[in-house]
Amino acid sequence: MQPFRYLRDAAVFAPAYVILDWASYFDALGPFNITPWNPQAGLAVAWMLLGGMRQWPAVLATIVAADVLVRGAPGGAFIAALTSVALAGGYAWMAWLLRAFLRGTALRSLRELNILVAVGVGGAALVGACYVGMLRGAGLLADTPAPEGWLRFWVGDAVGVLVTLPLLLAAADPGRRAGLAALARRGEALAQAALLAATVWLIFEGLPGDPAVHFYALFVPLIWIAARAGMNGAIVAVAIVQLGMVAGIHARPEFTLPALEIQALVAALTLTGLYLGMMVDERARANDSLRETLRLAAAGDMAGAIAHELHQPLTALASYGESALLIIARNDARSAELPAIIGKMLGESQRAAEVVRRLRELFRSGTTRLEPVEAGEVAASVQRIAAQIVGTRPVEVAVSAEPALPALYIDRLQVELAIRNLLANAVDATEQQRGGERHVGVQLARQGEDRISLVVRDSGPGLPRDMLERVFEPFVSGKPTGMGLGLAISRAIAEAHGGALAARAASHGEFELLLPCLQST
Amino acid sequence: MPAEHLTVYVVDDDAPVRDALALMLSLSGHASALFADAETFLDAWRPEWAGCVIADLRLPARSGIELQAALRARGSRLPFIIITAHGDVASARAAFQAEAVDFLEKPFDHAQLRAAIDNAFSRESLRLTRVRENARLAALTAREREVLELAAQGLHAKEIAARLGISPRTVEVHKTRIMDKLGVRNVAELVRFALGAGPRPGE
Repeated sequence: MQPFRYLRDAAVFAPAYVILDWASYFDALGPFNITPWNPQAGLAVAWMLLGGMRQWPAVLATIVAADVLVRGAPGGAFIAALTSVALAGGYAWMAWLLRAFLRGTALRSLRELNILVAVGVGGAALVGACYVGMLRGAGLLADTPAPEGWLRFWVGDAVGVLVTLPLLLAAADPGRRAGLAALARRGEALAQAALLAATVWLIFEGLPGDPAVHFYALFVPLIWIAARAGMNGAIVAVAIVQLGMVAGIHARPEFTLPALEIQALVAALTLTGLYLGMMVDERARANDSLRETLRLAAAGDMAGAIAHELHQPLTALASYGESALLIIARNDARSAELPAIIGKMLGESQRAAEVVRRLRELFRSGTTRLEPVEAGEVAASVQRIAAQIVGTRPVEVAVSAEPALPALYIDRLQVELAIRNLLANAVDATEQQRGGERHVGVQLARQGEDRISLVVRDSGPGLPRDMLERVFEPFVSGKPTGMGLGLAISRAIAEAHGGALAARAASHGEFELLLPCLQST
Repeated sequence: MPAEHLTVYVVDDDAPVRDALALMLSLSGHASALFADAETFLDAWRPEWAGCVIADLRLPARSGIELQAALRARGSRLPFIIITAHGDVASARAAFQAEAVDFLEKPFDHAQLRAAIDNAFSRESLRLTRVRENARLAALTAREREVLELAAQGLHAKEIAARLGISPRTVEVHKTRIMDKLGVRNVAELVRFALGAGPRPGE
């Protein structure tokens, strides 16, 4: 340990602690450090959590100094020293517990928030018991019942830790710092902060009567912020609420507020904000991971389609290679063909490389590789895919295309995957119809300047109106064996092309896939 | 084994795969014929075709296994080797239930492919021999067939004569005719033919 750095750190910590102690020293119980809000407790825990236990002597010295500077050591030198050892020891113990159980300082999960709350609330209870017990033991604070003193200390310290500690940890965490900076740049954040400030002003100045009866109004901006901005927003909002209340109480000393009730309210505000923020973050993370899973599922589906394409060139390559070996091994008369064979091998390896490249692109960024594909070719793929899907089932498939359609501008593999999904659904849907001919019709037609629509109709019963949009949600499937990903993936593909995929309400099944085309005709 | 009469019929929708297989097969001394899909193959098919079919499982319109079923329905017993880029259990099961000789995953090991073709061809030769033998047996009269059966049991001319109530001399005449018709030179070959030919289960 370098003594210089240690002293420099202490020179930052000590004044900050004393100022916080001084600022929050109001509405105290007797002359002692039992106040509704003790942010300096959060600072002390954060300091030892980030800096380690070697900060303990500096913390202890600071607590003693603060007692002398802020309150003039009302219990005398011995009590000041004794209670300071209890406070510093309690904070150190809380820091040690958090160091042991938290992973880093980012407060990433509900579990970590639970740990923080448990340590903050439990630790404050213990520290409060020691502190109040020592004062009572020394015959001080005799006119207050011990449980009340303990309760007030407990809630004051707990709220101080719960408000200050997350803010300090966030300031120390690079990821959270970046998140907070991004938050500050959003216009919405300014509006939210303004609403918060306005609410505090209304409570203490704007509205008639006792401010205490209006405190509940603070829930509105707090919930708005936590719901929109998650944990980052909640951490800041909770601190602003706290500061606003402290400022308000200082500004309106004529109101004597019932201390325990304010404390309970502040505790509820703090916990609501933090937990709501954490829930919002967790939900956002779950959403992200679902999207990622969907992308992977789409990629997996594509991989299946592509595997076939990859195996073809590899098969040809292996056969050409085998042939070349046979010619060389036998010194065959056909050795003149070798250059041609090797040329074909190079061609096949190119074909394989192309497929792999496309697959990799898909996995990396989900990019679509657009190329002009003749409408006739698309119609032929529809026919081919439909024949594969129908197999031996008694379903009639008719494919028609408007004459003189321009070429489509699409990623062929991806669009074929979407078409495969639509056709498979259509053919399956005909199984639910009651009697009659089972048929599926596919129509390609011009749609405006730069789109071609591919409409898939089936003779099945069609979708109920309330399912028209829901079928595109992942994991919603009308089929007992379906994963419910097909249409979600197909729509993602259509949208990646700048197109669209929609279900239509009709007495039969109908889906329309819009795809871009070249504008040459 | 008259491999030169046997042809490998390749049905695959991928042109380079067909081309490469044909080259490899011709270097291995096999005649080959190429088809892009099941329909083309069925249109061209003749009952006298002999050899084996290498068909991709996934073909446009009709799968390799469906092609095999269609051929069986027409009375062809050409052995099938199914190749596929999707080597899943379900399709392998379907292929074997349809009595495919082998089921190879693309890209396949050529030693395996050659072994599969050899296996298919030896089945096919055996089948052709039996077809020829059965055709010859069909030329025998009812009495000649009786004589052949008893001779196959190892009975002498006198015993056969006693059983059938004819003279041993007539039996000898029948035997000579039988050996003529079946193209065998002596009694030992005759017995072997009688044991090897005849109706078999599954044919």
